[in-house]
Amino acid sequence: MAILNLLFEHRDVEGIGNIDVWEANGGYEGVRKAAALEPQVIVDEIKTSGLRGRGGAGFPTWIKWNGLPKNYDAPHYVLCNADEGEPGTFKDRELILKIPHLLIEGMILAGFATYSKVGYVYIRGEYVEPAWQLRKAIDQAYAKGYLGKNILGTGRDFDIYIHMGAGSYECGEESALMSSLMGERGNPRLKFPHAPLPTVAGVWQAPTLINNVETYCAAAWIIKHSGEEYAKYGTEKSKGTKIMSVSGHVARTGNYEIEMGTPLMELLNMAGGVKDGVLKAVIPGGSSVQIMRPEQCEKINLDYESCGANGTLLGSGGFMVFNDKTDIVQLMRRTSQFYMHESCGKCTPCREGTRWLFKILDRIASGNGQKGDVELLLDVCSQIDGRSYCGLGDAAAWPIVGAIKAFRSEFDYWIEHKRSPIGNTFVPPVVEAVNPVLALTSV
Amino acid sequence: MIQNGINTLADSYITHPVAQPEDKMQFSEEAVAELEEIISHYPERKAACLPALWIAQREYGGHLTPAAIREVATRLGTSQTEVEGVATFYTMYNLRPRGRHHLEVCTCLTCAVMGAYDVVHALEHALDISIGETTADGEFTLSEAECLNYCGNATVVQVGDHYFPDISPSNCLNLVEELRKSEKYTPALLADSLVKIQTPGASLKGGGSFKAEEI
Repeated sequence: MAILNLLFEHRDVEGIGNIDVWEANGGYEGVRKAAALEPQVIVDEIKTSGLRGRGGAGFPTWIKWNGLPKNYDAPHYVLCNADEGEPGTFKDRELILKIPHLLIEGMILAGFATYSKVGYVYIRGEYVEPAWQLRKAIDQAYAKGYLGKNILGTGRDFDIYIHMGAGSYECGEESALMSSLMGERGNPRLKFPHAPLPTVAGVWQAPTLINNVETYCAAAWIIKHSGEEYAKYGTEKSKGTKIMSVSGHVARTGNYEIEMGTPLMELLNMAGGVKDGVLKAVIPGGSSVQIMRPEQCEKINLDYESCGANGTLLGSGGFMVFNDKTDIVQLMRRTSQFYMHESCGKCTPCREGTRWLFKILDRIASGNGQKGDVELLLDVCSQIDGRSYCGLGDAAAWPIVGAIKAFRSEFDYWIEHKRSPIGNTFVPPVVEAVNPVLALTSV
Repeated sequence: MIQNGINTLADSYITHPVAQPEDKMQFSEEAVAELEEIISHYPERKAACLPALWIAQREYGGHLTPAAIREVATRLGTSQTEVEGVATFYTMYNLRPRGRHHLEVCTCLTCAVMGAYDVVHALEHALDISIGETTADGEFTLSEAECLNYCGNATVVQVGDHYFPDISPSNCLNLVEELRKSEKYTPALLADSLVKIQTPGASLKGGGSFKAEEI
């Protein structure tokens, strides 16, 4: 198990964003193949592959694809969630920037499979460069007849429109994204079972399919090759590959496409090991998941089950590495500031709770912590977790509970001594990389 | 109070999508054509609220005035309050004027750990302003951004439609000097790029302010 470039196969080919180069490298073969297939065959192929949603939750993709009404009677919509906002994640940016045609292919296939005629790509407003590449790619695909009316003579129509966001983390949540697409504030809505699934009543109350960029890209790969081929990779329940965005104190940051089930430490080694010091902590799946100590990291394999069994989540693949010069309390203060800023304000536990979390953590990290503050934090977290419309509330609480569990002594040190156990700074000097395995033995 | 079956009391709280007498519609003919094109992508006019606000931000020179919001409401046939709600929700809509270059320093997790606050302090010192302020000459606005999702190249600074990666306290001053000379990366050009991206065929026409070769 190691690096396995399925989606990234042609990433480094010169001019691959251009449709001619893309076609010369086997591009749009999947669409040509699917043009002759019944929609149900496409869904079944996705089912065979065992693909699960790559946006964070890991929901089986085929169930969504299978859930839309199987006729053209009323409009259906295919949405692509490219509102990548999870701190630590930058895979969708690279997918759209380097290989935009793979996403377009995936969306066309989803359109065929779900009897949809219109697709929207919701891209965050900051991603101007990737979005511009996608604009170019879509215009080229229209010119070649892969989009528009009567695609490849099949009689099926499919249009893709780009919808730019305007700066909101909350809009990466599917129901908030739909609100935003409809021209409203990005507030989430009630979820199943209290409200119908998006596949029944989504955007404009029409059946809607919504997936992450990486999921559509994987679907395009699966239809081009085959579901069985994809299912050969990965573990029993987590099939295929996952793109991990490695950042922080590592020698070689960047996106690594790995086979599901690759040991966490192996990915760290691939990225050149910890920079400037020894490993202190890893956040494996973006800021919303629990932080892991080095001894926990050794046990984790990067798949949905192994991460879950070890008390964290694979999430969106924002893999952040921190060395021993990182102050965890300050890190959590910054995390809670993020969620405070991004809470949309719809439900009270999240709107008020994220503010209190920040206030308490700010108090601790500025040397004014009081006895009992840690218990207070845990109490506030328990009042947010599971009590908001969307996952933002949970995501604000989990990392703080996780950090207190893993690094309780640092919180206590701050409260008792009114200063950082590390030295009050976020800025360690840079030296050469060391082998993380060797570095671990000195912990 | 109910008159002729209409609840007049409730109606009085609704801001009608009618322009104030002193407002002058400022969208150019080209902008109106772009707006109508984008509206045609959606089943209802109201859905084009976000793109319409981007057009307004460009047409009104980089920030949204109350008149701009009223114009968007009028053109979309929706209420001023509704558009105002949208404009105040999203952080990229400027409700106040910004400098000619808006420096947004990402200080979220990875960037913070990799020294984003040092960059912020270096910029504050060099420009003689603090976070959220604009220089006296109207050249720069400095703000802190939440995760810009380019964590592999921390620290990242967004200026207009461009990300500047790997910014450190030492090279941020060069960036400032370069930007001072540059005509690009302004808030209005950012809005222009975002509108062009949503217009089908824009890349075939050469694409306005944003050139793909620059990527």
